[in-house]
Amino acid sequence: MMTNPVSKITQGQFSFLPELTDAEIALQIEYGLSRGYAWSIEYTDDPHPRNTFWEMFGMPMFDLKDAAGVLTEVRNCRKGFPQHYIRLIAFDGTRGVESIAMSFIVNRPASEPGFGLIRQEAAGRTIRYTVHGYATDRPEGERGIETS
Amino acid sequence: MAIATGASNGATAITDAKRRYQAGVLKYGQMGYWEPDYVPKDTDTVCLFRITPQEGVDPVEAAAAVAGESSTATWTVVWTDRLTACDSYRAKAFRLEPVPNGPGQFFAWVAYDIILFEEGSIANMTASLIGNVFSFKPLKAARLEDIRIPAAYVKTFKGPPTGLIVERERLDKFGRPLLGATTKPKLGLSGRNYGRVIYEGLKGGLDFMKDDENINSQPFMHWRDRFLYVMDAVNKASAATGEVKGSYLNVTAATMEDMYERAEFARQLGSVVVMIDLVIGWTAIQSMSNWARRNDMILHMHRAGHGTYTRQKNHGVSFRVIAKWLRLAGVDHLHAGTAVGKLEGDPLTVQGYYNVCRDSYTRRDLPRGIFFDQDWCDIRKVMPVASGGIHAGQMHQLLDLFGDDVVLQFGGGTIGHPAGIQAGAVANRVALEAMVKARNEGHNIRIEGAEILRKAARFCGPLQQALDTWGDITFNYTPTDASDFTPTAAVAR
Amino acid sequence: MGSPLYSIPGTAPATTPVAEPTADAAAAQASPSTEARTVSEVLAQSQAGAVMDELDRDLVGLTPIKARIRDIAALLVIDKLRMNLGLQAQAPSLHMSFTGNPGTGKTTVALRMAEILFRLGYVRKGHLVAVTRDDLVGQYIGHTAPKTREVLKRAMGGVLFIDEAYYLYRPENERDYGQEAIEILLQVMENQRDDLVVILAGYKDRMDTFFRSNPGMSSRIAHHLDFPDYAPGELLRIADKLLEQHNYRFAPGARATFEEYLTARIRQPNFANARSVRNALDRARLRQASRLFADQDRRFTAEELTAIAACDIRASRVFQAAATQGPS
Ligand SMILES: Nc1ncnc2c1ncn2[C@@H]1O[C@H](COP(=O)(O)OP(=O)(O)O)[C@@H](O)[C@H]1O
Ligand SMILES: [Mg+2]
Repeated sequence: MMTNPVSKITQGQFSFLPELTDAEIALQIEYGLSRGYAWSIEYTDDPHPRNTFWEMFGMPMFDLKDAAGVLTEVRNCRKGFPQHYIRLIAFDGTRGVESIAMSFIVNRPASEPGFGLIRQEAAGRTIRYTVHGYATDRPEGERGIETS
Repeated sequence: MAIATGASNGATAITDAKRRYQAGVLKYGQMGYWEPDYVPKDTDTVCLFRITPQEGVDPVEAAAAVAGESSTATWTVVWTDRLTACDSYRAKAFRLEPVPNGPGQFFAWVAYDIILFEEGSIANMTASLIGNVFSFKPLKAARLEDIRIPAAYVKTFKGPPTGLIVERERLDKFGRPLLGATTKPKLGLSGRNYGRVIYEGLKGGLDFMKDDENINSQPFMHWRDRFLYVMDAVNKASAATGEVKGSYLNVTAATMEDMYERAEFARQLGSVVVMIDLVIGWTAIQSMSNWARRNDMILHMHRAGHGTYTRQKNHGVSFRVIAKWLRLAGVDHLHAGTAVGKLEGDPLTVQGYYNVCRDSYTRRDLPRGIFFDQDWCDIRKVMPVASGGIHAGQMHQLLDLFGDDVVLQFGGGTIGHPAGIQAGAVANRVALEAMVKARNEGHNIRIEGAEILRKAARFCGPLQQALDTWGDITFNYTPTDASDFTPTAAVAR
Repeated sequence: MGSPLYSIPGTAPATTPVAEPTADAAAAQASPSTEARTVSEVLAQSQAGAVMDELDRDLVGLTPIKARIRDIAALLVIDKLRMNLGLQAQAPSLHMSFTGNPGTGKTTVALRMAEILFRLGYVRKGHLVAVTRDDLVGQYIGHTAPKTREVLKRAMGGVLFIDEAYYLYRPENERDYGQEAIEILLQVMENQRDDLVVILAGYKDRMDTFFRSNPGMSSRIAHHLDFPDYAPGELLRIADKLLEQHNYRFAPGARATFEEYLTARIRQPNFANARSVRNALDRARLRQASRLFADQDRRFTAEELTAIAACDIRASRVFQAAATQGPS
């Protein structure tokens, strides 16, 4: 189990709050839609802080008017990947931004094993650091499955 | 209201070359530095000075003198002018207006041809614009209020090495302000003790920790020690949270060689960010910007020293001008004030600084002290930093004033938490996330902010303690640098 | 999961978190008529009445359709009152079928219907997404489901209008991908009633056949509206309206000519009610423009620029065809 104050991975906009309900998620989606963002759903079993490219659950959703469409896909994704991390990402295509404007986690595995820090001593007291995800000790496709 | 001047003696340029270049002393107006009909070219730099002429000095002549002394003039006529295309080198004061509610003060607009400034050099531009002119005797005081930098000159700069968009992508943090804290006490902690503060703050939920401006390499903590312990803390916190974390390693030092050495070591240790102080000077800033660009490093700028020349309203350089120059010179973070904290700043004026950092195109906005439209030509955006005397209880005000693209630095507000540094960090992060969430849900945080914090504190003990400790602290003094304008006056045209 | 504990190792545990009920979020989305207790309160709060009045005013004829819409609206208003008193929990099924010949106003009425449903709080956004088979059904295996889902997502919060819906069903080809689209549609129509309303449109007879072979679909349609063909007098009034919208009018005598035109056109193949009127007027405007264009040096008055003359209509091929065929 992770030992930070919330005992879970703290990526995304709302990791320090109680998990958002679907109604609360819908309000965030609406906020993004009202600003013209396109929502996208991504999932992974390897939440390393530098693992940028989670798997895409379908394409980014353009031209939606209402949160229900996005929420439907979130539910589909949870059904397919109940023990994965799933996040919602909003893209802003405005010139000068052209990047992600919102990002938050909407599903987590039942237990979050977290990361270890591997230190390799080098010259002059320097240390090379590797953040190692315990989740990736198991091969791809077998992670996030409950043991014990 | 423009000043009627044509009649006052000496305000008109002498066009007859023989008379103009006769040896002797002429008024600046006669030498051609006052040109009321001049229409600035798109490639001109335009400066707005606030001038306070000495008693008995004609304001038009004073404005012409500012134009003269910041470009080609000297105190007497020189025949060598005639070897040059001197008409185009002369800066031209072209407009003068009394400052609303500022007796004895005038706004003077001065235009500079693009040939006057070396491409890509803030050092050169500042040597002209704030070089001699501020010590000039006929003026009691002078202040550079704002500057319009032409697109043609903007494009000679590379700007921020990372910019706030790319910074967010590297850190994987979107849709909320970033959180930081300055390690306290400023001086005296050993490397080991110092690293402890970093670890606690980052693990507790902050994105960044920060060296203070005067932490360099003193007897109590040499820089290598600091870097080594800090990076151990950063990496450990990253593993504990699954987030990218950073700590601004201040590489400010006596010489460029020292700064490069320190920055290089920070890079080797895997830091995502290094820090410099404004006092290192424009040339060193641009050199470090180039270094940061080559090494994928976020460059944090602490504006140490700026208050000596930005704070007084009648003399010096406005911070909005410094911010514009720093964006061109190329920094990624810039301390730009808090409006609600312990350091100087009127809220609208401070918002003006933020806009200069973050806009793609800054529009003239007199209430915020912005006098000119400024096209930033797609140069990257600077992430402003709000730091100094702020705490979780002000989260709604901060988010409302500055939006998402800002680093909120709670130094004392994190480290001084009664339950410890991690608890302080938790309080700030929970307050921030709760406020962003509520705002996105459509709540009016300006009105409901305090209530939103109280609700969040019900499920977060550390936040409750923070509110109990600091809830009522505000720093209310009259700011010295509110913008001067009257909506109906000529300035607002 | 649920509430984090904010436990900091080595320190006493923070005060037990009091979980905050998340009713806030739901409240923020509440419909405008939560408190309404009377019909007029609902109508006033929602301004649905204004939309219905507009529909009465703007659309010529369609008397039975307008009556049906008022009935449906009444039902929805009463349902709202029942829900406010807790007498009814679930939103009613609102999926509809609009049948009738081309140009009888199905799309136009569907747009108004979306607006009314929005005002009454039965859809959240009130937009209309109009599609046909091609927008829903793919060309190869695995293509259809994402296409249909994409359309459904875009329509959520509003109304999905499927024109000539019966083309989704092609019994002659048992591996037709249309069936897949129908199944996805059915699922969403049943489970996400709050998220969108589906209107199926097309010819009456083909729609009847479609419903007979797709009882699942038929059972989910709450309201069947049948759009009658317009009488010649109504078509003429539609013509007046269309001209007015574009700042034109019939010159003296032209309206009678247009009536003659309609009598002939109705008998010819591919007559499409109001759409044929619209097309005929578009062509008349073209002819008027050519007529005026020939007069290169004239300063036209506003009168002249707005008038559609009898000759602009008379030049139509419809008259020639009628002449050669003779009266039938
Ligand atoms: N009752 C009416 N009054 C005025 N215009 C009408 C009426 N019915 C149809 N129209 C016009 O006729 C055209 C075709 O109508 P449409 O709604 O597309 O018919 P359908 O969907 O039944 O084919 C539209 O331009 C519409 O504005
Ligand atoms: Mg139609």
